[in-house]
Amino acid sequence: MLELGHISTAALSLAAESGKEEGGSFLVSPGIGLMIWTLILFGFTMWVLSKLAFPKIQEALDRRAKTIAESIEAAERQRKESDELLSEYRARLAEAREQADDIMARARKAAETAEAEATVSGREKREELVEAAKRDIEAETRRSLDQIRQEVADLTVLATEKVTRKSLNPDDQKRLVEEALAEVDFSALSGKGSQN
Amino acid sequence: MSSAVAEPSTQAAPAGSPEAPKSGGLSTKAKVLIGIGVYLGIAILLLLIFGNDGKNEAFKPQNEFKLEEWIGIHLGPIDLSINKAVLYLFIASGLTIWAMTWIAKRMQQKPNRVQTAVEVAYDMTKNTIVGPSLDKNMAKRWFPFIATVFFWIWFSNMIGFLPLPTNTEHTFSVFGLEIPSFAIYAATANLSIPLVLTLVVWISYHVEGIRAKGLVKYLASWLPPGLEDMNPIAKAFIFAIEAISHFARLISLSVRLFANILAGHLLLLFMGGGLAVLLGIAALGALTFPLAFFFFILEVGLIATLQAFIFATLTAIYLGGATSASH
Repeated sequence: MLELGHISTAALSLAAESGKEEGGSFLVSPGIGLMIWTLILFGFTMWVLSKLAFPKIQEALDRRAKTIAESIEAAERQRKESDELLSEYRARLAEAREQADDIMARARKAAETAEAEATVSGREKREELVEAAKRDIEAETRRSLDQIRQEVADLTVLATEKVTRKSLNPDDQKRLVEEALAEVDFSALSGKGSQN
Repeated sequence: MSSAVAEPSTQAAPAGSPEAPKSGGLSTKAKVLIGIGVYLGIAILLLLIFGNDGKNEAFKPQNEFKLEEWIGIHLGPIDLSINKAVLYLFIASGLTIWAMTWIAKRMQQKPNRVQTAVEVAYDMTKNTIVGPSLDKNMAKRWFPFIATVFFWIWFSNMIGFLPLPTNTEHTFSVFGLEIPSFAIYAATANLSIPLVLTLVVWISYHVEGIRAKGLVKYLASWLPPGLEDMNPIAKAFIFAIEAISHFARLISLSVRLFANILAGHLLLLFMGGGLAVLLGIAALGALTFPLAFFFFILEVGLIATLQAFIFATLTAIYLGGATSASH
């Protein structure tokens, strides 16, 4: 600080000395010419800036402020819309979940019903098949018995011819065979005899 | 703290250097003391080598601010000659116009750094300088003037720290051409410039005050409120004090800017070697030269902007005070 004081004092004394030399310190004596130049140049600068610079800067700043305000408004609007959409989607999702649960329940129920029906139907079909098989077996058995009976008749006739050396006429043959067969029990062959 | 400071120096030391651990072990205090010791040691060494040449009578530091007539223009008693100050006024005006219109034409929605800086300055002028002091109508009318005052003084102050070939007293030769020496000068370091701006402000705020309130009411508004019951003689005394304070504004507003900028330039001149030359002690230059950097940064980084801000703010305050309902 002391040094600065010395410097200032030195500067002022130098200025004063110089002033004495030139009839007034040029450092602190204003000049009219320079003042006029200042007025002209400052005035011109102000005129140009107020016409070409400040309005454009202000306009750009206003435009940006407007853009920012609009952006904020748009962002708020979009946020609101997003919130609405979100709540709507959530509602839809909940609804869809309910529907899905309902569909699942119904599907499960339908599957259970179908399973039950299929079980009943299968059982019925199996029984039908068993019945049909029984019927077929009985028919086949009956046809086999008839065939055996025919075979036995024919053999009997042949045997009788050999024993008696006599040919029987067809009526006698038939009668004899039927008599013989009537005495034979075929029930064992058909299976009924054992059951009975 | 000391270990934190010591670490980088340890890392910076070359690998395998035997001095590295020693340097790393020094505390900050020791380093500062060594620095000061070296600083003073160099100065003492220079003093011993070069000695004291005695006061230099030939060197006139004030001549750095002397205005030499370059192109003579004389209109009767008015000297409109072109000199260094007029050149600086032209440069300041040209630079202000060019920079502001250039930015204004290229205003982008997404600003770059330069545009951001100008926008910040513009916004500060509008909302910090003009806004709080003036009502809406006054602000609209006076914003261009106050904003121009701010930017124009700012550019004037800033170009004052650029060395330009303006010292025609001392020249140097380049291929036979005599080029003026590079020197720093500021138009605002000449009293005429702040004074004429102050006069414009001073006249303007009185005119606005009279226009807003009428002459009598405006003059009456100079008296502080609460003196209605005071006797007329005391009122006249206070009015006289207030009137003096208004005239004192002519000096305070102009001299504040002028003296600050002049003092800054003188400081730079003396610290940059002027003092050593003036006193004939070369060793002093070694001591003052680092201070020149400090003052340069202070002037460019703070004083130049601060003085422009203060001048513009006081302009707004004076205008606002003259037209506001109560003084």
